[in-house]
Amino acid sequence: MEKMVGQRIKRKEDPKLITGNGMYLDDMKIPGLLHASIVRSPHPHANIVSIDKEKALKHPGVVAVYTGKDLEGKINPVPTSWKVPGMDLIETKQYPLAINTARYVGDGVAMVVADSKYTARDAAELIEVDYEVLPSIANQKEARKDGAPQIYDEVPGNVAFKYVAGEVTDEDLENAEVVMKGSYNTQRVAPSPMETRNSLAQYNPGSGDLKLYVGSQNPHIHRMVLSEVLNFPEHKLHVKVADMGGGFGGKIGVYPDEALVSYASMDLKRPVKWVETRNEHFQSANAGRDMMVDLELAGTKDGKITALRAVNHANIGAYLATFGPGNPTIDFGLMLSGAYKIEKAQCTTYGMYTNTMSVDSYRGAGKPEVTFMLERAVDDFARKINMDPIEVRRINFASKEEFPFTNAQGLIYDSGDYVKALDRAVEKSDYHALRQKQEELREEGRYIGIGISSYVELSGFGPSAVAGAIGFQGGIWENSTVRVHPGGTVTVYTGTSPHGQGHDTTFSQIVKDKLGIPYEDINFVFNDTRAVSMGWGTYGSRSLAVGGNAVGLATDKVVEKGRRIAAHLLEAEVEDIEFEEGVYSVRDDNSRRKTFQEIAKAANFAWSLPEGMEPGLEEQTFFDPSNFTYPFGTHIAVVEVDIETGEIEILRYIAVDDSGKIVNPTVAEGQILGGIAQGVGQALWEGVQYDEKGQLQSGSFMDYAMPKANFFPKIEMEFTETLSPVNQLGSKGVAESGTTGSIAAAANAVMDALAPLGVKHIELPLKPEKVWRAIQKGGAES
Amino acid sequence: MGVEIKHKYTFKNLSKQEVWDTIQDPEALQAALPNCEVFEEVGDEKYKTVMKVNMGAIKGEFTADVQQIDKSEPDSYRLLVKARGKPGEIEANAKMVLEEIAEGTELSCEADVSTTGLMATVGQRMVGGVAKVVLGQFFKDIEKQAKQAAGQ
Repeated sequence: MEKMVGQRIKRKEDPKLITGNGMYLDDMKIPGLLHASIVRSPHPHANIVSIDKEKALKHPGVVAVYTGKDLEGKINPVPTSWKVPGMDLIETKQYPLAINTARYVGDGVAMVVADSKYTARDAAELIEVDYEVLPSIANQKEARKDGAPQIYDEVPGNVAFKYVAGEVTDEDLENAEVVMKGSYNTQRVAPSPMETRNSLAQYNPGSGDLKLYVGSQNPHIHRMVLSEVLNFPEHKLHVKVADMGGGFGGKIGVYPDEALVSYASMDLKRPVKWVETRNEHFQSANAGRDMMVDLELAGTKDGKITALRAVNHANIGAYLATFGPGNPTIDFGLMLSGAYKIEKAQCTTYGMYTNTMSVDSYRGAGKPEVTFMLERAVDDFARKINMDPIEVRRINFASKEEFPFTNAQGLIYDSGDYVKALDRAVEKSDYHALRQKQEELREEGRYIGIGISSYVELSGFGPSAVAGAIGFQGGIWENSTVRVHPGGTVTVYTGTSPHGQGHDTTFSQIVKDKLGIPYEDINFVFNDTRAVSMGWGTYGSRSLAVGGNAVGLATDKVVEKGRRIAAHLLEAEVEDIEFEEGVYSVRDDNSRRKTFQEIAKAANFAWSLPEGMEPGLEEQTFFDPSNFTYPFGTHIAVVEVDIETGEIEILRYIAVDDSGKIVNPTVAEGQILGGIAQGVGQALWEGVQYDEKGQLQSGSFMDYAMPKANFFPKIEMEFTETLSPVNQLGSKGVAESGTTGSIAAAANAVMDALAPLGVKHIELPLKPEKVWRAIQKGGAES
Repeated sequence: MGVEIKHKYTFKNLSKQEVWDTIQDPEALQAALPNCEVFEEVGDEKYKTVMKVNMGAIKGEFTADVQQIDKSEPDSYRLLVKARGKPGEIEANAKMVLEEIAEGTELSCEADVSTTGLMATVGQRMVGGVAKVVLGQFFKDIEKQAKQAAGQ
């Protein structure tokens, strides 16, 4: 029978969700349920002089009002979970409600709990907070300057950490034939999942158990961290995730809000729910990117890049987010040289406190930013030495014979064939014909641009020993239990936490191929800390590469136990038992056979098992991979810029991605497609806007441009398959590749279109007004 | 910083002094401010006002402290406004300059307005537009009153 892995199988998850039978957190109604609303600071930086909660308390339906002072000593600060050795991190205290000082627009200062969400919100407006406004700052480079407003007494110059990876000397640059400098900034964006953040805590005063439903990409991390924040024992804390409408990194973080709802439930002995409004999401959900990067690139006239030296000013917000310190230092800093064999690379990162919301992982987390920097720079370098950008990439790629390849900063890439993906993209786009067409259209006064971006991603998090070495406060292995029921159907448990990725579908394909039972007989359980023993969640494109492989390995163990039972029942040697299509049989005698279902029953009944064997058919695996996986690819964007208006139209978008073995092309394409929308969105439209003091100005979808389907042509996708040697399937991450590759592809295309007009660089997002102004200025820096 | 607002209004057939007298008269001011329910003098050149605003997302009652400084009659003055309401806070610093021109008197207002709360996060893009409408109505009313006072 044909293997199911590799097939386009329709997603199992969808019928439930598209027929209105899903259960999202806000759908949940529990008797006695209370609702919370959080009062947030409207000032970027202010001392809290006093809070008058009397009017709110008198409002009918209000059950409780809490301030930071009320909770002092009762809830601990929410910590970061990534402390890179050698970064001299100054971690400040993020109290769930600010006690004396609010440090960003959206910082919680009080919480109202009432019998309906409308009452809670009305009463929140009755709370009078007297603020003493303090000097404030939003921009990370400005925050480092002398005389800048200081956000914490204990953090001189607002520098939360400084981290240097690699070394490039002045001589390395001075002695080069060609030296180029550029600034490549990725602006702050809001993750904006369809479903905002939320939590529902239900404390049982009888048992002392606390059940917390929370919009989380990693419920076990939430349990671990919240147990510390709440001084609550981990084994009594049950974290569950309902159906969840997206995360994109914004739901990795452990937030104050979840701790507050939990505390209120314990204090009031009633269930309490909080659902973030969209305006709140823009204020108080971890943002993405916001890195300002200055790069020096050294190379030869014939196209070889010899050194890269970057300084990254990373805005980390007013408090450290859960993964905040790791993204600019590790994900960005160690990937500086991308897909290229560049001898020397150095990245100095300043993590800067500012009066803005915290910055955490957002789809790609450091890799889209570094790829944007590198791929924009490679194009600028190509233009400087008058060489085709395709050629420059080809010259500098690590070649497939060099794998496992060690990059300039010591990361070991598992496998790759970068030329293959580039060649396919060139062929698929008909690149040379496009260049010719570009020339012809320029004659007519039309400006089309072709943008190339070749990326490599650090994904499939990962080997736990490395996690330890880079200061990640946890492991990154994955666990799976395969439980076979007496009738032969199977429930599989894993520690990855799908919220749209389709794990139920793809992981079932893996199990189906191994067990040979009907696809419908396989069921998955995720997102529940009581059902799943331990796991590390879904981020870093790790679910398939680590979790999917754990599922496969646990299933292998089931097959092996079944083989021993079959040998016993069929009175044959274990070595002589074959297993195919769900049937155990004796080699050379197919009439002696037992189906998987018969073995399941025999194992569960345990009437007759091999001597010493325990009953049941259930196996668990903890899979700790030996390395990360490194997906790669080349994207080509073709745009036309209307030079009268600055309007950009995407004419074509070609994506050739390599994520190793593809389990389900439909699901993988869905990931690439969504990723491209987010990357191109960053390049052309999206952007969180603060004024220089940190007053948020983009608090709704009227003020924040989200990419929409009709902004795009049909995305032309294709995969090459270079297997990873670090896991059984040979799969790599896929979920972040689209974003990582696409920011630079779109931006390079626009710069390519405008090159004849003398425009060299425009800050993202490339909105028509900015593009138009740059065209008016021509060669002058915009 | 907040939003910069520039607005010019021509008071036809009125002298600088005529415009000045009206625009400095608390009763005339209260009548001219749209939906102004309270306008009390609370100190030297200091007033307390309560105004209702209803424009899209910006909706609610604002309590404002208004102060006039740097007065140079009848040429210029500076208006400081600190308003607070459910949709957020508004802080404005406006330079008002009167100049006689052929048609009458031109008043130019240059203000720097910063906001917080919903006013800032979802209302920012509307502040300029709203201010234009409010100022337009205000000056038109002042013009009417000044003309009445001048017996025109």
